[in-house]
Amino acid sequence: MIIEMREFTRVEGNGKAEIVIEDGEVKDVRLQIIEGPRFFELLTLGRHYYDVPDLEARICAICYLSHSVASVIGIERAFGVEVPEEITLLRELGLIGEFLESHSLHLYLLVAPDVFGYPDAIRMATKHGELVKEGLALKAFGNRLRVVVGGREIHGINVKPGGFGRYPTVEELEEIERESEALLRLARRAVRLFAQLDPYGAKAKHFVATDGYLWGEKLISDEPGEFHYTERIEERSLVYSFAKQSRYKGEAFFVGALPRLLLKSEMLTPTARRLFEEHREKLETGYVSYNNLAQAIELVYSLERANEIAKTLLDRGIEGENVPVEPREGEGIGYVEAPRGLLIHHYRIDNSGNIAYSNIITPTALNHAMIEASLLKEARELYGEVDEGRMIGRLEETVRAFDPCISCSVHLVKL
Amino acid sequence: MMDKLKLGVFELTDCGGCALNILFLYEKLFDLLEFYEITEFHMATSLSEGNHYDVALVTGTVSTQRDLNLLKEARNHSEYLIALGTCATHGSVQGSVELPIREKLKAVYGDGGDPMRALDSKPVVEYVAVDFALPGCPYDKEEVYQVLMDIAKGIEPVRKDYPVCLECKLNEYECVLVKRGLPCLGPITYGGCKAVCVRSGLGCIGCRGPLPGEVNPASEYEILKSLGYDDEYIIRKFKTFAGWEP
Repeated sequence: MIIEMREFTRVEGNGKAEIVIEDGEVKDVRLQIIEGPRFFELLTLGRHYYDVPDLEARICAICYLSHSVASVIGIERAFGVEVPEEITLLRELGLIGEFLESHSLHLYLLVAPDVFGYPDAIRMATKHGELVKEGLALKAFGNRLRVVVGGREIHGINVKPGGFGRYPTVEELEEIERESEALLRLARRAVRLFAQLDPYGAKAKHFVATDGYLWGEKLISDEPGEFHYTERIEERSLVYSFAKQSRYKGEAFFVGALPRLLLKSEMLTPTARRLFEEHREKLETGYVSYNNLAQAIELVYSLERANEIAKTLLDRGIEGENVPVEPREGEGIGYVEAPRGLLIHHYRIDNSGNIAYSNIITPTALNHAMIEASLLKEARELYGEVDEGRMIGRLEETVRAFDPCISCSVHLVKL
Repeated sequence: MMDKLKLGVFELTDCGGCALNILFLYEKLFDLLEFYEITEFHMATSLSEGNHYDVALVTGTVSTQRDLNLLKEARNHSEYLIALGTCATHGSVQGSVELPIREKLKAVYGDGGDPMRALDSKPVVEYVAVDFALPGCPYDKEEVYQVLMDIAKGIEPVRKDYPVCLECKLNEYECVLVKRGLPCLGPITYGGCKAVCVRSGLGCIGCRGPLPGEVNPASEYEILKSLGYDDEYIIRKFKTFAGWEP
């Protein structure tokens, strides 16, 4: 017998799951990504490098800047271009905006209705209007950062190899400094709220992240040593899903806010670090549901860090100069922490600046096996114990804890 | 008080941005909810209670059999259907990957056939009649607000009739095509985005598709050629969002 879950709600994109029952027991779970394939690597093949980050942004609306930045870093590494601190700080500011926008969307609009027992945030707003408004305020500020750095709320084209089309003004940076401080109170309240959630889903055994907090030159995991993705991560196609499945040394693994905190807590800002220590014991159990709490702590981190960056840039002043980019034959990988976890853009570029090879692996594809493992564990615990409706409700919450981005996950190619 | 209109949001294959942009309306979303009740919107709500929609917003391209079924469902059960965003109106970036679907699938997934029934990505407007088409990758959120308000008040929404260039002039942005020689599709692209890319000092990438009527793509083509861009580059740029032949 197969129990078919309907298409997931309150997640980005189209997916569902099947629970396979044999002899009265849960035998297997299949996560089906039914969002149509979008063939981004084929789209970018042969295209001039300068236009590629704008195209890659279209992979995902919620984290378009992560894609632009990963793409730009991959291209710059292929050409051996180094950019000064001003440009890296601004990219970081944009990625922080994305964390704020994406995490607050996830926590307040998609997860909070589960906490309070509503089908959605709009209906939840009748009784918990303040909370919804707080979420929207954080989200709007995140989007403000995306507009300032990225050019617009969704699919801006301001992030370019070697720099930016337009640099922020002093007034914009002052506004960011002010707002990030004012909103910190709300983020701290979010941590208290999401710390109350029960553990559910599987406990992750392996975690993978970039070696810097928001991006890196290499990857790190719960095991010693830095590595490139090709050394430890393998992808394979599935017959029931448009997303491929990745494994770390043959096993399911976890990327996202919880893995970042567990692997990189020493890089956090002061208040975020204190909150991490306060909840460390809980987080270290590795239950995937604590990803929600980890995201709330990252809201605090993001606001503190945005404040630091704005201050630094205001103190030293903005020069607004791009680094010249000369195309040459080369290969480069951009590793970025998208809100949902590790994002990989890998390119080979020919000497006229056109893309000759491209591979993109997104967080949801990396988490695919871990989502299945969590559904299996949860279904085994609940099947026969609670009615089917409640079981499916909890399974949906388990999927939601990963904050899956299904649109992102469906276009992986190795040529 | 009169009954609220029933609004459904249907997502086919896309990046999620056109659905997300509705949530980015913030307070204005609550203004809309004075007139509308959302009965289908799976990114935002677990409720799904509609079998009739006064207005259906459909985003994304038809890229699987599932998308096609959902589109027909939306069309058959709605009074007023809006193709929302460039995927739905013109096919956008995924529609511009030109290989036949079999070859694309093989390149990405190997020899596993087509168990999930993928189709070549095509815009919604190629499959069903739509009552209004609002392009943009993404569309400007003020525009969708205005369109939904117009419909709620019984007014037929108006399609804009000017190119991005006009919005540059109104905002007094420097012309990046003439002054800096950047490839800019502003002169032939359907306006309504407030020339947001030119605001960043960069050329319009044509994400809203061609302005219908009296535009001159041939002369845009000649301008770009005279600036030193080669044929293939220009043709690709034209085709990327709207499958537009110069």
